[in-house]
Amino acid sequence: MSEPIPEKRPDKNARINVIKFALLVSFVCSLLITAAAGGLKGFQQENIELDKKINLLKAANLIDPDNKPSKNQIKALYDTHIQAVIVDSQGTVLEAGNPDSLQLYFFKTKDVIQGYILPITSRGLWGKIQGYLAFENDGQTVSGFSVYSHSETPGLGGEIESAWFQKNFKGKKILNSQNQFVSVGIAKGKAADLPKSEQANHVDGISGATLTGKYLSQGIKSTLAQYEAVSITFRQKGLSPKEKN
Amino acid sequence: MLKDKTHYMEILVKGIWKENPVAYQVLGICSALAVTVKMSTAIVMAVALTVVTAFSGMIISSLRKQIPSNIRIIVELAVIASLVIVTDEVLKAFFYDTSKQLSIFVGLIITNCIVLGRAEAFALANDPIDSFVDGIANGIGYGLILVFVAFLRELLGSGKIFGLAVIPQFIFEAGYQNMGLMVLAPGAFFIIGLLVWLKNSLPGISHEKK
Repeated sequence: MSEPIPEKRPDKNARINVIKFALLVSFVCSLLITAAAGGLKGFQQENIELDKKINLLKAANLIDPDNKPSKNQIKALYDTHIQAVIVDSQGTVLEAGNPDSLQLYFFKTKDVIQGYILPITSRGLWGKIQGYLAFENDGQTVSGFSVYSHSETPGLGGEIESAWFQKNFKGKKILNSQNQFVSVGIAKGKAADLPKSEQANHVDGISGATLTGKYLSQGIKSTLAQYEAVSITFRQKGLSPKEKN
Repeated sequence: MLKDKTHYMEILVKGIWKENPVAYQVLGICSALAVTVKMSTAIVMAVALTVVTAFSGMIISSLRKQIPSNIRIIVELAVIASLVIVTDEVLKAFFYDTSKQLSIFVGLIITNCIVLGRAEAFALANDPIDSFVDGIANGIGYGLILVFVAFLRELLGSGKIFGLAVIPQFIFEAGYQNMGLMVLAPGAFFIIGLLVWLKNSLPGISHEKK
């Protein structure tokens, strides 16, 4: 007579079962993450696009940073006031899709160009800083600045996205008193502590974020240097590059 | 499967008050310092953490008999990390502004000791529903402290509640100033320290007397 075979439970700590379990968990987890990331991508993309538009409008002072308009209001404002164009390094407007071209936005009221907005991409302390810098149509006065993406430390470098920092840019000049291009920089400390001749070209710095300020100043300067031809066109005629041709 | 109400009430009271994760277990301090400058971020953070703790507790508890003991922590972390990433994606899709403000802190829920602490200390030894309730309780316990700290910091540090100015202008003109310390992390340290002291000096709750 044979003895009844005792029912054997698989040993969960056997090496093969550990590996099987680990593989299964990884597979299920990755499936879950992929599904979430893939499924929500559309919504996220829409948010990012909207956020860019908000910041573009913020730079152009078309919306109040404390008062958030609705999605449709933003779209309407964007469509009536902003025109995206592509220019070459000489400031000539090009057809869309042209390589080595610069993105530029005109800010219009009733088809009259009030100013222009440049996309700014700069190095930050921890990652890329992306935003917009808007100018009046004299080609030298900053009318607004905004940031839509950065990875600076919240509370320190992250203050670049706060309203108090951004509004300091308004009215600053990118030319010095001799009308030479110097860009607009972020001071170490208060702009009022600088020599009088430099005050118009600097905004107040953020305490605890000297490096963020330094990199952002450099980034703004190099971007502005690329777009200098566009600014010169505005400075000479107070006209858009398109009207010059 | 469901037990009577008092059983769940006990778990809730334990997590929210008796063994409050911040004031008693002193877990999750790092994020409590980081997200409590403003009320709105504190609340979103509390909700996100509650969701993650509750669901990770439930999932880990239902797997507890299958999880090989030598890769236990890795499995727990994999579950927690996946849930956090999913939460982050959901925030990005539907609460974009808040998710931008919270920036890296949502991702850092993974390293929040409360989540792993509850998985280890509770979910591995209890059934899924208990673990879910325990996660909710600890999330609320954490959230209450967060909101309280954020309330004091936002009020004293920026003179605002939920971003609305509450301290009238004439008080500022009379010489009142916002307390700069409250906006910085040390301000939270002081408040949390005082809370821990307060909690443990209240009669009948001190853990030293146990």
